[in-house]
Amino acid sequence: MTRAIFIKEWFKTRRCFFICLVLALCFAAYLILSMNRVSVNKGVDHIWLIMLMKDNLFVEAMKYLPVVIAVALAIAQMAPEMTQKRLKLTLHLPYPQTRLVVMMLLTGVVELLVIYLIQLAAIAIYDATFLPHELTSRVVLSTLPWYVAGLTAYFVTSAICLEGSTRRKVVLGLLGVCALYPFFVQPAPEAYNCFLPWLVIFAFAMALLAFCSIYRFKEGVQD
Amino acid sequence: MSTTNEQPEISVKNLTQRYGKGRVIYENLSFDVPKGRILGLLGKNGTGKTTTINILMGYLRPQSGTCRIFGEDITAMQPATRARIALLLEGHVQYAFMTIEQIERFYARFYPKWNKDAYYQLMKKLQVSERQRISTMSCGQRSQVALGLILAQNADLLVLDDFSLGLDPGYRRLFVDYLREFARAEEKTVFMTSHIIQDMERLIDDCIILDYGKILTQMPVEELMRTFTKYVYTSPEDTPLPSDEAIVNPSRVRKSCEAYSFLDADKVRDILSAQKIPFEDFHTEKMSLEDVFIGMTGKY
Repeated sequence: MTRAIFIKEWFKTRRCFFICLVLALCFAAYLILSMNRVSVNKGVDHIWLIMLMKDNLFVEAMKYLPVVIAVALAIAQMAPEMTQKRLKLTLHLPYPQTRLVVMMLLTGVVELLVIYLIQLAAIAIYDATFLPHELTSRVVLSTLPWYVAGLTAYFVTSAICLEGSTRRKVVLGLLGVCALYPFFVQPAPEAYNCFLPWLVIFAFAMALLAFCSIYRFKEGVQD
Repeated sequence: MSTTNEQPEISVKNLTQRYGKGRVIYENLSFDVPKGRILGLLGKNGTGKTTTINILMGYLRPQSGTCRIFGEDITAMQPATRARIALLLEGHVQYAFMTIEQIERFYARFYPKWNKDAYYQLMKKLQVSERQRISTMSCGQRSQVALGLILAQNADLLVLDDFSLGLDPGYRRLFVDYLREFARAEEKTVFMTSHIIQDMERLIDDCIILDYGKILTQMPVEELMRTFTKYVYTSPEDTPLPSDEAIVNPSRVRKSCEAYSFLDADKVRDILSAQKIPFEDFHTEKMSLEDVFIGMTGKY
């Protein structure tokens, strides 16, 4: 049964997943090519200099990409459930409802993590070919909050899609903006290192919003 | 309505529901659906048919009252109980992003009594490929997919919300014939709504006729058809229509009058005479279930 739920979620999201994966890889390629151009024209020393002296890690362009991908994936996954109130079919399946929702969200999270990991790995592997370990990890640690923001965006967007009341959708949207704001306040690299674990906990706490939306759906709170 | 002392498959007691805090949809609605019976919930638009199904399936919390299915409170329905209930949503909603083959494999994992052959037997009639997506099918074809899945689930209780919505006569007939044969042969209990009463006549054993806020009648269809009568008579245009609780929805078109009642012809004649209403050519007319429904709920 669990496998069937994963497969159902995969059917809904697979097209979006591959588009997002290609997009993430295109961005990674763009960042790599940008770095490569600088290293070819001005030498690797110059890259080191820029990274250390100007705090430019050549990844700024992808700052909002994890959020965009997460929003797209959540819509692809949750919108079909709310079209014609198909969620009723899902909730009628002979499977514990809480576990069912966990499985649905878990599928989305796994897909997102796969996309994020492939993108991050591509950037990190390239960086590691000519940067010292410290600088590579600086790049990775500086981008991690953006990926965590992506997870937050996924949960909030899922909650918005599953919410039956338009007014509450707007409230959730505003809440989502407020929840994402802290992830993009501090531009300095590795500024979030010390509270990254708390951000991860915060992101997963946002999953509760999706449960609240489903609870309200079951209560009949719909437009 | 129950013919045995067995526990009813569905038991609704004193159900009250409102639109928000406003208009009452119904108050203190109570009914049972006995095992092995096909019960149709009939009512005009907005009388609460779909609301009742939403409450029964746990998608709407009633303002008061209790609903039990197989003796279990629906607010805490266990997965094993849901496995015994086949649900058809209004508009034959299914996972349209799946193909005929994928959706069968998906549901098969959830239901222990899954009957794959019942599903594919119906699919053969559709002239569609097993790899065709449900979203690319016509409304009629989608209805057959939804029906096939219900038959394959082999559930003890079938809950069908407006199964005839959007179907042409051919598909409606196919749906009704398949469902009737299945329900009778397997002794399934069916609770259904439809706005096309003709289809219900061919299918249901018992009916509940809902009006705004209340149940008008609840009895076996055969008994209803036998006891509820349409009376037709002519009367001068300036005479009033009968006013009596036992005479339902009297109406007039010029001199031609009609009225409905559970009373026999003599008693209706007595009421007309007692109210000093002149009448001629007093007679009864044979009715279909749709006529009974209109007679009971009125034309408007």
